[in-house]
Amino acid sequence: MNQGLKAKGAWGTYGFLLPLFLFICGFILLPVAGTFWTSLFRDVAFLPKKFLGLANYIRLLKDPNFWRSARFTLLFAFGSVALEVGLGTIFALLLNEKLPLRGWLRAAVLVPWAIPIAISARVWELVYNYNYGLANYLLIKLGVSSGPINWLGSGWGAFLSLLLADVWKTTPFVTIILLAGLQAIPEELYQQAKVDGTNFYQRFLKITLPLLKPVLLVAILFRTIDALRIFDLVYVLTHGGPGGMTTSLSLYGYKFFLSSDFGYGSAVSVACFLIAFSLSILYLRMGKFGGD
Amino acid sequence: MREERTKRLLTWLGITFMVGFCLVPFFFMIIVSLSRDPTFLSSQEVKYLMTLRNYGHILRAGSLHFPAYLRNSLIISALVALFTTFVAGLAAYAFSRYRFPGRRLIPLGVLGISMFPQISVVGYLFKLMTGLGWINTYNALIFPYIAWALPLALWIVLSYFMQIPQELDRAALVDGASRFQTLYKIIFPLALPGLFSTALLVFIFSFNEFLFALMLTTDQAARTIPVGIALFQGLHGEIPWGHIMAASTISSIPLVLLTVGFQRYIIQDLTKGALKG
Repeated sequence: MNQGLKAKGAWGTYGFLLPLFLFICGFILLPVAGTFWTSLFRDVAFLPKKFLGLANYIRLLKDPNFWRSARFTLLFAFGSVALEVGLGTIFALLLNEKLPLRGWLRAAVLVPWAIPIAISARVWELVYNYNYGLANYLLIKLGVSSGPINWLGSGWGAFLSLLLADVWKTTPFVTIILLAGLQAIPEELYQQAKVDGTNFYQRFLKITLPLLKPVLLVAILFRTIDALRIFDLVYVLTHGGPGGMTTSLSLYGYKFFLSSDFGYGSAVSVACFLIAFSLSILYLRMGKFGGD
Repeated sequence: MREERTKRLLTWLGITFMVGFCLVPFFFMIIVSLSRDPTFLSSQEVKYLMTLRNYGHILRAGSLHFPAYLRNSLIISALVALFTTFVAGLAAYAFSRYRFPGRRLIPLGVLGISMFPQISVVGYLFKLMTGLGWINTYNALIFPYIAWALPLALWIVLSYFMQIPQELDRAALVDGASRFQTLYKIIFPLALPGLFSTALLVFIFSFNEFLFALMLTTDQAARTIPVGIALFQGLHGEIPWGHIMAASTISSIPLVLLTVGFQRYIIQDLTKGALKG
């Protein structure tokens, strides 16, 4: 390395990195710190700000609605990720076959990914409509159900409706990641296994799955962290209902911000942050292992 | 070969399911947007009449503000795509060309930061933007969007810059070009396809964003498409599905076309962003 270039570089490095740091600090790190700080105060409209210490967190631990939100968020995250990874694996295996029109098939799978969540949530809202939605129409026409189902009116119905809409929207992402993983597996391995007289199922278990495992883990963690912060879909499709049964942690925190209770809203947000943060640490750890 | 035949059958069944699963809601949206009566599935005998009336209505009617939302979304997303790619390019240059402590750890840390839930900043951002007087302006969205899109953009641009041989720009430096000149005269042109696809991905990200737009805008002066469509309500409590689906179709088609047209790039970038970590 040329000594002159290196010496001149010291200032240049920071110059090139400065805008990145300013944006990340100003609009991510500082606000996160601000949220932590605010969570220690009573910070509501029309009352003087008052330091509370950990009182907001004690309230949080005793708040049944918070626990209900936490339970819903975790259930939703694990349920949707499990379905997405299962379906994504199948889709990726299909797209990895040598098929005519493969490019078009891949394009079709990407369509749900391209549509903004809020928009797809409204489309699903209409699909689930009791009187003239596509879901009830198809179920009755196919004879699966004798009468219309009130999808968004019951706790479980709303949960399943959210799950399906989320699976539709994010399976493409999982598919694409897993497809990249599949394409990295050398074809010779399969040829050799075929010569050895194994069937498709055995080859999947003995070759595909073990070699796909690192990519699978990445996809699972990425999606879990993303699912834990779900907001748009719930806000538009169920408004957190019926009766608050599908209120995610993000939506629960937002409701306090909306009513100008910034102290308690911040405490809810910090709880949501801590869950996601512990998972990102896990993710970075695994990422490093994968790189070695 | 019985196994081959079962496999072919299963493959085609799977493909049919996959394509149907992915496309039926999309086509349902378009079909309803073109219907004279969006409740056409409710009657015993489905009677479907086609019309373009819904499109005319949302593009004209002043009370729905759809053209304003669309304009806001397009301007904000384009500016965010441009600035994010540029800032990511500057940083990626330093990470790929300089040796300094943290050149491996910082990008990893930045990627970790992108996993933070947006709810953990939105309350504070609301206060910050109120203090700055930016509520309901483009600035209130552009600055946070750039920050939140940077981690992914940085990783993608970095992976493209790493592929450019260092000898190329070192030669330019020896010839007396400044660091910045090497960046925009040599690296940027060579990485142009990568920069373009990064910008495309950031554009789609910004166009999608919901929570910040919901919290930091109040009306059509800065409100974006997703929030506008989410809050569309009829005058008398009745949901105007035809209008909503027409607005949804107009907003989705460009994104779908961009995605399908540039799928090779998008797939590459998404994979890079996720797997290089």
